[in-house]
Amino acid sequence: MIKSFFKTGRFRHYLNYLIIVVLLVVFSVMSLSGGMKSSSQYLLEKIAISMILAVSLSILVGFLGELSLGHAGFMCVGAYLGGKVSVLLSSLLGEGIVNLIISLIVGGICAAVCGIIVGLPALRLKGDYLAIVTLAFGEIVKSLFLNSSDASFGGALGLKTPRFDRNTLFIIAFILVLITLAVIQNVLASRHGRAVTAIRDSEIAARATGINVTEYKLLIFAMSAFFAGIAGVLFSFSNQNIQATKFGFNYSIEILVMVVLGGMGSINGSLIAAALITFLNVKLATVLTGNMAVLQNLIYALVLIIIVIYNNAPFLAAFREKYTLHNLWTKLFGHRAEHRRDDEKSWARIPTKINMDELLSVDTTPEDNRAVRLDGDKPDAPSASDKERSK
Amino acid sequence: MEIIITTLINGLSLGGIYAMIALGYTMVYGIAKMLNFAHGDIIMVGAYTIMVTLGISGNPIIATIAAVIFCIILGVCVEKVAYKPLRGASPLAVLITAIGVSYLLQSLAQIAFGTAPKNVSVGNMGTIALGSVKIQGYTIFTLVCTVVVMTALTLFIKYTKLGKAMLAVSEDRGAAQLMGVNVNGIITVTFAIGSGLAALAGLCTLMKAPLLSNTFGSMPGIKAFTAAVIGGIGSIPGAMLGGILLGVVESCCNKISVIAPYTDAIEFGILIVILLIRPTGFLGKKRREKV
Amino acid sequence: MKTFLRIACLLCAMLLCVGALASCGGGSGTNYAANNTEYYIGLSGPLTGGAAVYGMAAKNGAQLAVDEINAAGGLNGVMFKLVTVDDKHDASNIPTNYATLYEGGMQVSLGTVTSAPALEFKTYAKDDNVFFITPSASNDDVPEYENGYQMCFADGNQGKVAADYVNDAYKGQTIGVFYKSDEAYSKGIFDQFSANLDSSITMVTASFNDATATDFSTQIDTLKDCTFIFMPIYYTPASLFMTQAVGIIADNAIYYGCDGLDGIDSMEGFDVNSVPQEISMLSHFNSKATDGAAGEFIKKYVEKFGADTLNQFGASAYDCVYAIFAAMKEAYEADNSSVYVTMSASDLCKVLEKKFQGGFKFTGITGTDITWDAHGYVNKTAIKYVVKAGK
Repeated sequence: MIKSFFKTGRFRHYLNYLIIVVLLVVFSVMSLSGGMKSSSQYLLEKIAISMILAVSLSILVGFLGELSLGHAGFMCVGAYLGGKVSVLLSSLLGEGIVNLIISLIVGGICAAVCGIIVGLPALRLKGDYLAIVTLAFGEIVKSLFLNSSDASFGGALGLKTPRFDRNTLFIIAFILVLITLAVIQNVLASRHGRAVTAIRDSEIAARATGINVTEYKLLIFAMSAFFAGIAGVLFSFSNQNIQATKFGFNYSIEILVMVVLGGMGSINGSLIAAALITFLNVKLATVLTGNMAVLQNLIYALVLIIIVIYNNAPFLAAFREKYTLHNLWTKLFGHRAEHRRDDEKSWARIPTKINMDELLSVDTTPEDNRAVRLDGDKPDAPSASDKERSK
Repeated sequence: MEIIITTLINGLSLGGIYAMIALGYTMVYGIAKMLNFAHGDIIMVGAYTIMVTLGISGNPIIATIAAVIFCIILGVCVEKVAYKPLRGASPLAVLITAIGVSYLLQSLAQIAFGTAPKNVSVGNMGTIALGSVKIQGYTIFTLVCTVVVMTALTLFIKYTKLGKAMLAVSEDRGAAQLMGVNVNGIITVTFAIGSGLAALAGLCTLMKAPLLSNTFGSMPGIKAFTAAVIGGIGSIPGAMLGGILLGVVESCCNKISVIAPYTDAIEFGILIVILLIRPTGFLGKKRREKV
Repeated sequence: MKTFLRIACLLCAMLLCVGALASCGGGSGTNYAANNTEYYIGLSGPLTGGAAVYGMAAKNGAQLAVDEINAAGGLNGVMFKLVTVDDKHDASNIPTNYATLYEGGMQVSLGTVTSAPALEFKTYAKDDNVFFITPSASNDDVPEYENGYQMCFADGNQGKVAADYVNDAYKGQTIGVFYKSDEAYSKGIFDQFSANLDSSITMVTASFNDATATDFSTQIDTLKDCTFIFMPIYYTPASLFMTQAVGIIADNAIYYGCDGLDGIDSMEGFDVNSVPQEISMLSHFNSKATDGAAGEFIKKYVEKFGADTLNQFGASAYDCVYAIFAAMKEAYEADNSSVYVTMSASDLCKVLEKKFQGGFKFTGITGTDITWDAHGYVNKTAIKYVVKAGK
């Protein structure tokens, strides 16, 4: 049975869980036996938080197709409200696991409520305009917490929150990553997930087939915000003093970068990108000290530009096809190349509304170059007949 | 009464700057259909260019011309290197490279000019007193500049061949290409104009707020972006309207000390309300969804 | 693409695994300094981003002191080493920054440059018992634990001293206050100032925050009738305020600031003489000093790093390093075995705490006969410097 599990390739579906579990066990043993430096523990905490954030944003951007520039705002709500609850409870329940679980639930639900509130305009607004609303939401939340009174949320000084034991917090954080993955992947693999991608591909068509667009949009916004809120609560437990300035536009952008680098609509991609970007940022900050610190952003920016161009540039499509790790794997292990799912490429481009120019433009490029460009819009090389006509 | 007039004038002065930056945003968005988050940093580069050339030549006009030329070159280079390879790819990919360019410009500026903010004085334009109300010279300069640029852009797009081509690209890129419009060329020209406007915006900002550091353009950039959206992104008069509105709102909020700390929350709140009432801003084009 | 991602995930997981394993072998109670050949001083401050000028100034000042000490032969031939990591003025970077410094062998620290990260830093330093004396993190809660000290005046103290001065000089009159609402430093002083202000004085307040820091014309308009304006803000926004206020605020008005205002007269491109009003501040350092130890420091600093980052941050950090050095030297001279290069941070902390609580007096460029009270606050005279007299 195990053999068939591996042979049919079904194990691939569970590979991400498997890897995270194995790593988690290794790290837990190391940590609990006192063999792990605290810098690694803090790094793992940060990676887990980024992973939850990236996955939660990925369902919004990659699957529902709505751009969000204010994801840190949801996290902020979770961090402050969950943090406040944990402070209030700490005299009652101590700073243990019970406190953490209650805070997580409260923070998550508060963020989810905010998610629904932000989701409501999404029913009326489209594309970039909605993105601006989410940006505005993030800034408003930040501003409100920043100017709160000292007694409520600490104001400019930030909210003091209990710090969870660093030997176990990252384990809990990774368990939460697993839970997040399980919930999100199951929802997306279900009927509901297909409805959501249908809305992304064409809202009108989805509506015509009887999908309740309103309900699904709100559901995804709430779900996305809920997990961002969870990440926020974790953040408040991994810091003793949370400051609202952290949750600004730049942080939202950083989460978005993880999702885009990981590949739209790819949960595993978001996980990897979240881990790598967090790792890169922490390493850059701690390796480049003193006068070298200015190079951090330079390197980060160059890495960003190069990876995005490499991953997305239409003119590199053929190159990418040729040298994928997948092909390398096939060469090395002689594994049968799997058939590709048809919609995978179209996921690379959102929103995928049908445009008139797609239908009108005549694609005259050779067959083998055409693969990735579904939009047919390639101004780079107007065909010979086009040029003639323009004369 | 005097308080109200002064507050309004202060708002106009700030709004003029926002409008100037928003014009650049809206140009690029309207035609290239991308959110150019590096726009604010091009403003910063423009301001630094003004600082350097002002130091060499001592003449603000020469400095401004140099800044405009430098920013146009920079804008075109950035477009060729970072955005053009992604034409036809997901709009989000371009958004991310724009952010990458923004970080890149900021860290290059820090390497070149250090961390200490510099005070750059572009020249005092004096004040005009109307009764007890004082109007700063730069307020008038900025407003005149913005109106001139707005009119020029509108006329340019309406009446020149290049402008019409831009309009065509903005309406439907594929169809424009079929009609023989050089889409790539048009987008490059758009970036050149946008970056030139950024240099002018740098000048206007510098006259009002002469504190120059590598994050000089970030916050005005985001604010102006908001302004462009309020006015209807892609619309040139809309950018002007949105900018002025935002400036006045900010000025009024700052005037009342109780709500002053919440100024940005109020501004963004107004943005949300406006978008809920008019989903494409004041003067934005309504998009009708076709099946 | 999916498969590619899964395989990339696998590789990435291995990479992380190896990375974490390589950092194995720590645990609490380890003496990371056991292999040190130099005394290791750690500092965390903003080296990039909007607050970078303050972090760079502190880093430069501390570096200058370290270089001088080393040139003079160090402590009995053992050199000192300063490592500054970038926290971007963001408290959530502190855990990894601190752990990296500590695991790198940090024995004594200058804490952080700004207040918000310092509130995070102090708890980690307390856990490992690392002695720190911060040059400029002036929040009242920074020296909460016995291992934390300040070289700058605490915010509450500054606010109170300023209020006392105003109570004497402006009884029954109207004064203006201009502060930054989203900054711990400015808000802290402002709160203490308004709490201690005499009820006969009418206070007109205007504030700004990060998002509205371009244009102060409305705030200037609010304050235009005041002849005394208290501005507990840093010198960079203050210079903007003064430039924009020329011709609107009365020429005989007085701008009165705290130590954050220092540096205004050495800003590149800003001529204090273009401001008709009097500028004065209550500070421990005057960056226009020409004689004495301060003048000597300014000369050396400008020679090495240029004048544009010269402000009290650098001077204070310079003094911090010398204070640590002097205390270590005194302890060493009293008992040769009490200070040695491979001693753990916690052992050095005990030595330094004993010194700082035991009548240790330090004379530097920011004050003479400086002592520290049991709480960790600094005792030195604040001097009212008149940067520029009014016309």
